[in-house]
Amino acid sequence: MIEAALAPVDERGGFRQALPTLVRVYGIVATLVILVAVVTIGNHAFLSSHNIFNMLSQWSPAGIMAVGMTFVILTGGFDLSIASGYSLCAVTAAYVGQHHAPAIAFLAAIVVGLLYGVANGLLVAVVRINPFITTVGSGFILNGIALVATENAAFLVDAPDFAILGAGRWQGVPYSGMLLIVFLLLFGFVLARTVYGEAIYAVGGNYEASRLSGIRVRLVVASTYVLLGGCVGVAGAIAASQLSSAQANLDPGIIFDVLTIVVVGGTSLSGGSGAMWRTAVGLGIIATISNGFVLLDISPYYQSIIKGAIIVAALALDTGLTRLVRAK
Amino acid sequence: MSAPLTVRKSRVESTVALRVRKVVKSYPGVKALRSVNFELATGEVHGLVGANGAGKSTLIKMLSGADTPDSGEIEVHGAPMNFDNPRAQRANGIAAIYQELTIIPQMTALSNAFLGAPKSRLGLTDRSAMEAAFREVARGLGVAIPPWVKAGTLSVANQQMLEIMRAILADHDVIIMDEPTAPLGPFERARLYELIGRLKASGASIIFISHDLDEVLSLCDRVSVMREGQLIATRRAADSSKDGLVELMLGDVKISHGDKRTARAAAGVLQVDGLRVSGRVEGVSFTLGRGEILGIAGLVGAGRTEVLRALAGAEPTSSGVMALDGVPCAWPRSIRDSIARGIVLAPEDRKHQGLVLSRPGVANFVMADLRSVAWGPLMRRGYQRSVASALARRLGFNPARLDIAAVNLSGGNQQKIVLGKWLHRSPRVLLLDEPTRGIDLGAKQEIYQTIRALSDQGMSVILVSSDLEEVVENADRVLVMARGRQVGLLGAQQASVERILKIIFDVERRPAPKEAAA
Repeated sequence: MIEAALAPVDERGGFRQALPTLVRVYGIVATLVILVAVVTIGNHAFLSSHNIFNMLSQWSPAGIMAVGMTFVILTGGFDLSIASGYSLCAVTAAYVGQHHAPAIAFLAAIVVGLLYGVANGLLVAVVRINPFITTVGSGFILNGIALVATENAAFLVDAPDFAILGAGRWQGVPYSGMLLIVFLLLFGFVLARTVYGEAIYAVGGNYEASRLSGIRVRLVVASTYVLLGGCVGVAGAIAASQLSSAQANLDPGIIFDVLTIVVVGGTSLSGGSGAMWRTAVGLGIIATISNGFVLLDISPYYQSIIKGAIIVAALALDTGLTRLVRAK
Repeated sequence: MSAPLTVRKSRVESTVALRVRKVVKSYPGVKALRSVNFELATGEVHGLVGANGAGKSTLIKMLSGADTPDSGEIEVHGAPMNFDNPRAQRANGIAAIYQELTIIPQMTALSNAFLGAPKSRLGLTDRSAMEAAFREVARGLGVAIPPWVKAGTLSVANQQMLEIMRAILADHDVIIMDEPTAPLGPFERARLYELIGRLKASGASIIFISHDLDEVLSLCDRVSVMREGQLIATRRAADSSKDGLVELMLGDVKISHGDKRTARAAAGVLQVDGLRVSGRVEGVSFTLGRGEILGIAGLVGAGRTEVLRALAGAEPTSSGVMALDGVPCAWPRSIRDSIARGIVLAPEDRKHQGLVLSRPGVANFVMADLRSVAWGPLMRRGYQRSVASALARRLGFNPARLDIAAVNLSGGNQQKIVLGKWLHRSPRVLLLDEPTRGIDLGAKQEIYQTIRALSDQGMSVILVSSDLEEVVENADRVLVMARGRQVGLLGAQQASVERILKIIFDVERRPAPKEAAA
């Protein structure tokens, strides 16, 4: 389904060349299949449409941000400011939503996201500060702005229409989940099939060679932060709508979910290799683990241990097998 | 001469330093070594030659312990080789010096020389003992590297020397050098030859790999030739000839020596006056004719690369006066400026500047002009593939290998991609920086045939190479550079290796230039 549609074209070729790739692909897909099987055997409700729709809705903000993060990481970048940005965008949506139509509120959140993406992009690509430091710094600033604006109180929105983005459904399918799938497909297509996507792989694979080839490297790098900012805006709007409220420290831990989704999928932190379908699989793995704990009634004390172990095991399997096959 | 150098006095004397018996190694889909037998005598310099892909690198990996054979034996001084881990392998006493040096630039020369095995006393590093040992070895090798200098500030040649010092300080007496002279200019090469002589005199055994057969024949005692995973022959260097070795290396493939080109008079395409790169290059002026191949000769660091980079728009501090087809134009300010004018650069460092190694040929070939294989914002994947295939065929690159990541291709194939990437844009001026470095003979020939064909079609080429013979053979005119200045411009009839070297010598021997002398 999603995987097939988004598989990048370049992963073809002779069997020998394809072998490491095949192993990597199946390593991570196999992990997902096994997890789904285990959880389903433990509790048949897992694969019910009701449960799947709920998961889609629940993971929509993190998943949409992971879509943007995939672009940033593919260029060899990093963005640690998204948790703060996410809260600020949610706060913006809630604040505007108190007095204006929901559409305007959501748009405002996206605009704020894009603006801070532009700021991050300029700092990283043009001023050329290390993305790690840049986004730690901008994260503090964004968080501070949100705190100042809200005085650390929650903004509540009474308008019933406001909940439509987060809680609305069509035939049982949540709008937020549809949005997530649209983002995965659309931006997966952008990565795999457009000139822009091709440039992202080139820049992430070798910045200097891309620059000397006449690719507008700074523009490409900066644009990924803007794109991620936009995704953060959408995610913030969904979160505010789901809760009908927002506050400055909405979910500081969401940064780890987002990074884990991208990296568990197998997109390389050093840039230049990865794909959107990998992010989709990574999201599937993380969502299955989290939901599985609830369905299998595992004590919360054990949850962290198991979650951590599965993440590390998935990565070890991926790199270990790759090295084994590629040994040269 | 300076103090004699002693290598590993403790070792029991034996006449054979290394013995390889029936070693077989396969990688998925490739039989890299098919039952190789090889012997390195104690105290000899043994040349190892062969085309790219002949199995030299694989053999070295086995000898240095970087990889294990599938079957067969390797003995070091009569004892079976230890493959356990890098620490255990130290005991084998074998050091391999690869083209990609393992010097850590931020650390001092001293720390680099003792990397992994610093001398210590009571658990603390013993700096004075290390410094004394460092100075002793440096003196023995005739190397003048200050111990406390940051290794990153040393020239490539000195970094290489440092790596050789590391091998000696770690008590290694078998040293494998993989194309050590490729990045060096003529003088630095001479220094390395001398150093190898001293190492040999001190009892070390050396395996020397190079594509330069003249060098191999003059430096080595014996030469082994590899082809298609087999060791074809081992000959005494004194009984071998260059042609004989080439025949063994290539099997039945014949190569033609290019004839010297005849100079051609043609309209000027690119006129450059007073090219300057702040602090590095001064006063380079020339006119490049249509279809002309202009060589730039000079030592490493003479400013050749900077000239090419300035023309390509990659040197922000450059200036000068430029005219295209006789029409004056602004000095290029960016790489995109130059590309738009049809001036493109195939850079010196393929791996870091020329290619996206993680991506396959089909992506690299079209990378410099993505728009040409797109419909609006959408990549036309089928068309991209046919464009890449056409380029590949034109350059003698097997289109079946288009999907292999560039990192897994040979140097020759990588260079073909870099060339193809620019040919795709049909440039007017092609700037080539060391296009044949580290490439085997067959691929070299193909690349020069391509360059000549391009020039015949009217493309102008500026060629920089450390191989002066290559420059003289292929260029219509040769611009000679030394110390960042243009010191000569020779026509095809005047240009010879001797002449060029003499010009360079005369300038280099002079005391440091005074600014007024321009």
